[in-house]
Amino acid sequence: MKNTKGEKIFYFFNYIFLALLGVTTLFPFLNVLAKSLSSEKAVISGKVSVYPIGLQFGTYKYVFTNDQFLNSLKVSIFITVVGTLVALAITVFTAYPLSKPHLKGRKTILLMYIFIMLFSGGLVPHYLLMREFHLLNTVWSLIIPAMVSVYNMLIIKNFFESVPESLEEAARIDGTSNFGVLFRILLPIAKPVLATIGLFYAVTYWNAFFEAMMYVSKPELKPLQLYLYELIKQSQKPILDVDAALNLNSESLQSATIIASTAPILVVYPFLQKYFVKGIIVGSVKG
Amino acid sequence: MSTNTKIKKQNNWTYFKKNYEFYLLLLPGLLFIALFKFLPMGGLVIAFKDFNIFDGILASPWVGLEHFKAVFSDEYFFQVFRNTLLISTYKIAFTFPLPIIVAILLNEVKNMTFKKNIQTVIYLPHFLSWVIVQGLFVTILGSTGIVNQILEPFISEPIRFYMDKSLFRSILVGTSAWKEVGWGTIVYLAAITGIDPQLYEAAVVDGANKWKQIIHITIPSITSTIVLMFILRLGYVLEAGFSQVIVMYNSTVYEVADIIGTYVYRTGLGQMNFSYGTAVGIFNSVVAFVLVISGNLMCKKALGKSIW
Repeated sequence: MKNTKGEKIFYFFNYIFLALLGVTTLFPFLNVLAKSLSSEKAVISGKVSVYPIGLQFGTYKYVFTNDQFLNSLKVSIFITVVGTLVALAITVFTAYPLSKPHLKGRKTILLMYIFIMLFSGGLVPHYLLMREFHLLNTVWSLIIPAMVSVYNMLIIKNFFESVPESLEEAARIDGTSNFGVLFRILLPIAKPVLATIGLFYAVTYWNAFFEAMMYVSKPELKPLQLYLYELIKQSQKPILDVDAALNLNSESLQSATIIASTAPILVVYPFLQKYFVKGIIVGSVKG
Repeated sequence: MSTNTKIKKQNNWTYFKKNYEFYLLLLPGLLFIALFKFLPMGGLVIAFKDFNIFDGILASPWVGLEHFKAVFSDEYFFQVFRNTLLISTYKIAFTFPLPIIVAILLNEVKNMTFKKNIQTVIYLPHFLSWVIVQGLFVTILGSTGIVNQILEPFISEPIRFYMDKSLFRSILVGTSAWKEVGWGTIVYLAAITGIDPQLYEAAVVDGANKWKQIIHITIPSITSTIVLMFILRLGYVLEAGFSQVIVMYNSTVYEVADIIGTYVYRTGLGQMNFSYGTAVGIFNSVVAFVLVISGNLMCKKALGKSIW
């Protein structure tokens, strides 16, 4: 099929527009990456765009030998790994029974989950509860808040519902228990969905910031996002600007910290990207 | 005991024996939501009490609706409420149509490698925290940032984007578009994929050009998805982007940027007005709940679709 002249023009501008969109998305990363690798002098003069000027790696050396950064990195890795595993387990354990239409009490339990998705006790009561349970300034105060995402649970539940009943029946005739069906039949075929939801949880935990701001004040418990937030806040104060030019809070150092905190997401993202589009469409809108 | 109830009991027993594993599996989740989701809802009573952190929730005296009266006679509360609605409305106006347009344009791309790469790139910002996004944009918009560098010939001194009341809301809308427009295309791309290709073939036979195909086939076919997403988005009109604002704002721009969530945080926890903060929180939760429920009901009625 031949393209008409009008169509050719349309395609041309379409490619240009979408390419521009991609560039707009990537530009901030490239700019910050370039700044993190540039000399402080070049950064302050404002000349750095997308390639480094006065290439140096000292900023990264400083970031990765900075105790507070390394400590925050450790906290973030811990809450991401432990949080994701626990959250994924609870989510799967909840989704599996709720995918069985014959289960007694299913409707009531589902309604409870949907209710907590739509209505929350709000900030102050949650804070007071954490305080009452003596969870303030513990690593658990960073893991508990994101532990059950109803949205993620519904995605997995919808997936389980889409698995043909005959598959499970065959296993049950062979004497497999309900646990066995979950672990030996369903979970292996649910791998792409689990990868997607695992990614969602991991990103949520890695990015969690406000919980830490609310529940944690000890420096040794501050996750990376809170550390970065405080660094940015500090450098934004106008009085410190002059000081910062000579000091450790320099812009290229801040840029290096931003890149170092984003790196894990950038590294994991392409591998899991192929899964999540499928995963989100399976569970998002129920027809 | 009559035989009837005996059989029933026996049935219950066999049902339980066959299904107890399901209930065991449900237990951790239920325990979690009971402790950390439903229990805090009980904590909402402090909005009706003069809560004192030393006396605890139970011992604090009841004061009825006093805190709510204080909230509704507080001029600043209305300012905050207005900010919430304004920021949210701007966001809907600018960032709701964009993903639809981008999805339609992406669908017209024939080169699959190009399409995949663009998709990979534009989905990415969705996975970044607002702290990272703030870090990126502070760098770009700062006084030594590239934007001020480009504008330098035209302005006398660097623009302090984050300190400017007339610009701050635009920054909120702009950065939220940068972060979420790409991700927002997924739903529409899925809807477009579902369109019967025969429709396009027939249109080509009838001599319809690309533009006509988009107007007469693509858009009508995804209208129900657009309406669904729009109603749902309206349901969340009170969600002006708490995690974004709390990271991005500062005391210079409170007047235009303070929203319900940030106000609750600063008064309720920052100034320890626990009861007052909770009263504002309840107002927010209840209105939001009603809006979301009505939105979903509308979707069910009008389109036969719902999110749950």
